[in-house]
Amino acid sequence: MRLLVVEDDPGIQQFLKRALFEAGYQVDVASDATTAETLALEGVHDAFIIDLGLPDMDGLDLIARCRSQGILAPVLILSARRSVDERVRGLEQGGDDYLTKPFALAELLARLRNLLRRAATPQADSATKLSVGDLQLDLIRRDARRGDRTLQLTPQEFSLLEYLCRNAGRVVTRTMILDHVWRMRIDPQTNVVDVHIYRLRSKVDHESAKPLIHTIRGVGYVLKDS
Amino acid sequence: MSSKTVSTLRSTAAWRMSAKTTIAFAVGSAIAFAIMYMMAAREVQRRSDAWLSGEAGVLSDISLKTPRDALNDRIVEEVAELASREVPGELNIKGRQVNTVFFLVTGKDIPPIFVGTGSREDVLSALNAVQFEPGVPQSVHIAGWKKPFRVVYHPRGSDGGTYLGFADIDAARMLRRLTIGFVLVWCGMVMLGFLISFGGAYRTLMRVERITEAVDRIGSEDLASRLPVSNSSDEIARLSATFNRMLARIEASVKQLRLITDSVAHDMKSPVTSIRGSLEIALSDGQDGRWREPVANAIESLDGLLRMLNTTLDLAEAEAGALRVQKEPLDLSELMQQLTDLYHPAMAEHRQELSLKLESQVIVDADPVLLNRALVNLLDNELTHLPTGSSITISVQVVGNAAQVLIKDNGPGFPAELRDRVFDRFVKGAHSKGHGLGLAFVNAVAQAHGGNVSIADVTTGGAEISLKLPMAPVLTA
Repeated sequence: MRLLVVEDDPGIQQFLKRALFEAGYQVDVASDATTAETLALEGVHDAFIIDLGLPDMDGLDLIARCRSQGILAPVLILSARRSVDERVRGLEQGGDDYLTKPFALAELLARLRNLLRRAATPQADSATKLSVGDLQLDLIRRDARRGDRTLQLTPQEFSLLEYLCRNAGRVVTRTMILDHVWRMRIDPQTNVVDVHIYRLRSKVDHESAKPLIHTIRGVGYVLKDS
Repeated sequence: MSSKTVSTLRSTAAWRMSAKTTIAFAVGSAIAFAIMYMMAAREVQRRSDAWLSGEAGVLSDISLKTPRDALNDRIVEEVAELASREVPGELNIKGRQVNTVFFLVTGKDIPPIFVGTGSREDVLSALNAVQFEPGVPQSVHIAGWKKPFRVVYHPRGSDGGTYLGFADIDAARMLRRLTIGFVLVWCGMVMLGFLISFGGAYRTLMRVERITEAVDRIGSEDLASRLPVSNSSDEIARLSATFNRMLARIEASVKQLRLITDSVAHDMKSPVTSIRGSLEIALSDGQDGRWREPVANAIESLDGLLRMLNTTLDLAEAEAGALRVQKEPLDLSELMQQLTDLYHPAMAEHRQELSLKLESQVIVDADPVLLNRALVNLLDNELTHLPTGSSITISVQVVGNAAQVLIKDNGPGFPAELRDRVFDRFVKGAHSKGHGLGLAFVNAVAQAHGGNVSIADVTTGGAEISLKLPMAPVLTA
C-alpha cells in the first residue's frame, strides 16, 4: 500500500511519515499542492492524506484537480477548522473522510484502513461471526460467549464489544468509540466512555486468567488476545 | 377596527407622537379662542354700555323736566320707544326673547314708577343691594333672570334716582353661538389634525419598522445582505444607509474574525498535533515502562488544552454571531435518550439517580454537532458538580412553541455569587475543575439557534437548568 501525505507542517509531516511507515505503508510526502499534484498524477498511490490549509492552494481544490484528471484513490482530509463546511461534508458522502486536528494517531490509522477497505471491496462487511481468542460474537443472534460462558450484555455493551472486536489488536480512542458506537462526534470532559469500558470489561474479563480488554493510557483501548 | 388593532396602534410611537401634538394643538387653540372670546365680549359690553349711558342720561333729563302728573305716561312712552329702537348689535329674530329694558324712577315726591319686564319688587330689592355711582354702568343680578342687567343710575333730587337697566340677551346669544361654532370647528380640527399627524407619523415610523424587521432578518447567516435604500435623503433614508455601513463593518470584522480564529486554530493545532503524534508513537512502540506514565500524562494534558482552545474559539465565533450553524430536523427526545444511555453508567457510578421524562417527537431545527456538544456540556456539569447520591430529572417537552430540555437536580444548587454570571466565560465555582466555558458555550449555541438557556434554584433545594429551542415548523405529510 502506497500513500501520499500532503501536509505543509514539517512536524506533522514527519510524525505521519514515521507512524504510517511503522504501520506498514509506503509513504511519499509533499509540502505543497504543486508537488503533490505531480506526485499524484503518477497514479501509484492507494490513498491520499491531504491537509486543507496548503500554502499554494486550498486542499479541496487540489482534490478537485486530481479527480478531474482521473485520480480516484480515496482521500483522508485533515482540517484545522473544527466546524467542517459543506464542501467537506459533500466529499465525505462521496466516499472520502475527514479528520479535524488535532487527531489521535490511532484514529487516523483506523480511518485510513476503512477508506482502503471500502475502496477495495465496496460491499459492507458481511461477516456474521467474530472471534478473538475464546471470545465469540454472533452478530445475527447478537449474543456473546467467552469460552463456554454466555455473556449477559446490554445491546449497547454488545455494540461496544463488537466495535472492539472488529478492531481487535488495534487501539481505538474514546472519540472513535463515541463516533462508531453512539454515532456522535462529541468530546465529553468526563469519563463516560471509560465507565462503559469498565462495565464491559467486568463482564468479559470476569474470572478470566487472560484479560482481553486493555487500556492504553493517553490513547484509548485495545481488545487483543495476548 | 377591532379593539385589538386599536390597542396595537395605541402602543405605537406614532400614536404617542400624534397624541402629544394633538393635545398641544387643542390646548393652544382653546386658549386662543378664550382670549378672542373675552376680547369680543368686552367690546360688545363696551358698546352697549355706551349706548345705555346715553339713553339713561336722556331719560333722567326727561324724568326731571316732566311735571309729576304727566311723568308716568311720558316715561312709558319713552321706554316703549326705546325698546322699539334698534340697539347696537341686535338682531331681531321672530319668536325669540329680545333685549330686555326696564326703567325705574324713585323719589320722595312721587311713588316709584317702574316700566319694563319683570316684577318691580325683584328689581327694587336687587337695586337696593348695590352701591351705584352716577352715570357708570354696573352689573346687577335680578331674581328670575339668568343674564345680569347693566344698570345706569342718575340721582334725582335729594333722595331719589332714575335707573335704566338693560340685559343684552342678544349679545349673549351671539357669544353663545360663537362658542358653539368654535367648539364644533375645534373638535373637527383636533380630530382632523390628529388623523393627519398620526397618518404622517405612522407612515414615517412604518419605514423605521421595516428597517427594524429587515435588520432583524439579517442575522449572522446573511451579513452580506443590505437594507433597501430609497432615493430620498431624509432622516430615515440616512438611517438605512447608516445601518448598511454598520452591516458592512460587521461583515468585515466577522470575516476578519473567522480568518483570525481559523489561522490561530491552524497555527496552534499543527504543532500540538505533531507533539501529540510523536508522543503517541513513543507510547506505542516503547517497551520500557518507566516513561509510559509521563508520556500518557502529557497526552492527557494536551487533550485538555486542546479542548479549551476549541471551546474558546467556538465562543469567540459564537459571540461575534459567526458560529457556523448547519441545521437539520432533529428529535430532541431521541438525542437525549442516546446521550443519557451514554451517561447513565457514569452517573450510576457516582450513585446519581437519573430519571427521564421524554415527550415523543420533539422536533427542532438544529445543528446536530453543536446541539450534541451543548447537551454534553450540561450532562458533564451534572456529573462533575453533583455529590454522590443526588438525583437528576431530565425532561424533554414542548412548552408553547418551544422545545425545552429541563434538567433538575437536588444538589447544592448554583453558588450564590455565580448565579448572575454563570453564562459568562471563565466563570466557575471555587472548587470546579472545569475551565468555566461549558455553560457559556451552551448559551452561545442556544442563541445561535434562536433559543435561550436559563437557570433557577429549586425551592426544595437543588438547581434547575432550562434550554429552550424553537420548534421546527410542522411538516404535513
